[in-house]
Amino acid sequence: MKIVLAAILTAAGLIIIFGSPIAKEKPVLGYYYESPVPILPMSFAHADHPTENCIDCHHNYNDNTGGGPCMNCHTTNQDVWPLFERQFHDLCRSCHAEKAVLGEEGGPPRHCIKCHLGDDLP
Amino acid sequence: MKSLIATMAVVFLITFLAAPTMGAGWFWDVGNGIGFAAFAGLLYLTIASNRRLDVRAHQILGYAVLLLVVGHAFWFLLGDATVVEFIKIGAPDYMWLGIVSLILFVVLITTANVPDRLRVHQNYSSFRYWHRVLTIVIIAGAAYHIVVSNFYLGTWYQAALFVLISIAVCLGRAYWIKLGQIAIASPVVYVALSVIMAVAFTGLRNLPA
Repeated sequence: MKIVLAAILTAAGLIIIFGSPIAKEKPVLGYYYESPVPILPMSFAHADHPTENCIDCHHNYNDNTGGGPCMNCHTTNQDVWPLFERQFHDLCRSCHAEKAVLGEEGGPPRHCIKCHLGDDLP
Repeated sequence: MKSLIATMAVVFLITFLAAPTMGAGWFWDVGNGIGFAAFAGLLYLTIASNRRLDVRAHQILGYAVLLLVVGHAFWFLLGDATVVEFIKIGAPDYMWLGIVSLILFVVLITTANVPDRLRVHQNYSSFRYWHRVLTIVIIAGAAYHIVVSNFYLGTWYQAALFVLISIAVCLGRAYWIKLGQIAIASPVVYVALSVIMAVAFTGLRNLPA
């Protein structure tokens, strides 16, 4: 049994280091959106969200919390960066989940990779 | 058998108390269905442990629960290359707690078997004490992982109920003992029931509108 457990933990370690051998698409960490630190690519198709209010995401235009690229604050500001993952996931997920509950099109994102491919959507 | 079904039912029913038809796609829901079944298995192993415990049956079912815990982790790690980034440095605390619980569960199982148990614990009462303490830590970590990740327990009362049953199982030993001897379910029954629950969990959340 110990050998099996050791094999499982070793396999997990290898997947963490080298990635999944069977997942087709893999995200690449990089300095996207002028981020000063490596982050995952993200997708947001502006063209598919015509009814969303811009300032729901681009809040700095009306709450005086700074200008410049989003990632300047969201990856470096010590008050904000610990909330990075939670804020961005909740921002997308809450809207998609709400739509799913209402039975409208556009449910929650499926695989993580669906949003983290970093495409060139407008 | 009844205790296992009841434990499974309670864990899964809590996830359906709010937005029961909201899913995140079959891939995500299957993986988390396996995770909830694994958590129910952990609770059941704790409830069914009393002075007249069938140690061998308890041990074998522990392996089956570990199978599901590992299945839950590998399902996501292998199926979606992004998930790896979710468990590296900088990952949210609830993911770290999930990993810590998994590793502690491996330690719990390893140090419960003779001869390794005899190397770690000087006497049986010491083993029983630390086995219980480690179990509580594992359940607490896994419950935190589930509740704070906030995927299926979106309302305060769902989270509160989940925490309450976890606390009750961990600290209600005096009551569980009074239930008398509970025949430990076989691993085949446990895995079969887990598959049924995971399929139902996924199916109900992904039915066409």
